[in-house]
Amino acid sequence: MPNPEETLDRLLRAARVQTPDTARYEFAFETRVLARLREERGTSVFAWAWKLAPFFAAVVAAVGLWNRATAENLNVTAGLVAEAVRQHPERLILSLTAREP
Amino acid sequence: MTATLALPLLLASGKAAEMSEAAPPSDEELVAGSLAGDDESFAELVRRHKRRVFGMAARFARNEHQLEDIAQEVFVRVFKNLKNFRHDAPFEHWLARVSASACYDFLRRERRHRDDAALDAVEFELSDASVENAIQAGRAREVLAWAMRHLRPEEQLILTLCEIEERSVREVMDLTGWSESNVKVRAFRARAALKRILEDHAES
Repeated sequence: MPNPEETLDRLLRAARVQTPDTARYEFAFETRVLARLREERGTSVFAWAWKLAPFFAAVVAAVGLWNRATAENLNVTAGLVAEAVRQHPERLILSLTAREP
Repeated sequence: MTATLALPLLLASGKAAEMSEAAPPSDEELVAGSLAGDDESFAELVRRHKRRVFGMAARFARNEHQLEDIAQEVFVRVFKNLKNFRHDAPFEHWLARVSASACYDFLRRERRHRDDAALDAVEFELSDASVENAIQAGRAREVLAWAMRHLRPEEQLILTLCEIEERSVREVMDLTGWSESNVKVRAFRARAALKRILEDHAES
């Protein structure tokens, strides 16, 4: 039975000598690498857009809430003004003319 | 006399100027060009170093798709980390480190995939031939690939670097970032594990 240490040495030596020939896989490799890099650059924009999506959603929600609050406030103010005008129309005319520059 | 001296001098200076014009850009210049956004500079870097990267990747890949994947991964990593390249060592040393790291990551990924599949699914079967016969038949690489698949990723990497590529401990330390004692211990254990696999096969 052969010595396992020697067998291993022979195996490694033989594998060392057998250098793989990669020439045909290298053809136009740089073109493929650049194409992949361009593709990754393109997808990275979309990736950023996706990452920022929650932020934009939060902004839209905040603007919506603010709009709604302002509208409710306006309704209250408008109601009060209408009531005041109905009761004392002369005061409104006076206040408007007093603000004129 | 003056004319006879002047002519060769003129020719020499012209030739030197021509040579300096035609001299290919250094790796460092190509790196600078790539960082400035010039794709052609990076393509030239790839063209210049692809043989070496393919050579290392071929030690680990089992088919052409894996070979292409590893090589592409190396250069994509290089491109993304070009700004981290310090010019205190040649570009090819840095590239070798990136290549070793990409190969190691590939082996770890492979290991995870392989854990899902049975080892019986390996293409190469040794049941019909002894290791000795396989070596004589010029199938040493196949036998080694088969045996390596039973080893852990770090054992495969260190055996390939130390035993197949015959790199020194210092070089392996540079490539892997492992300490000297770590490299030595891992190399010793990997060799022992490989020997055990071959012995087990011989007994069975």
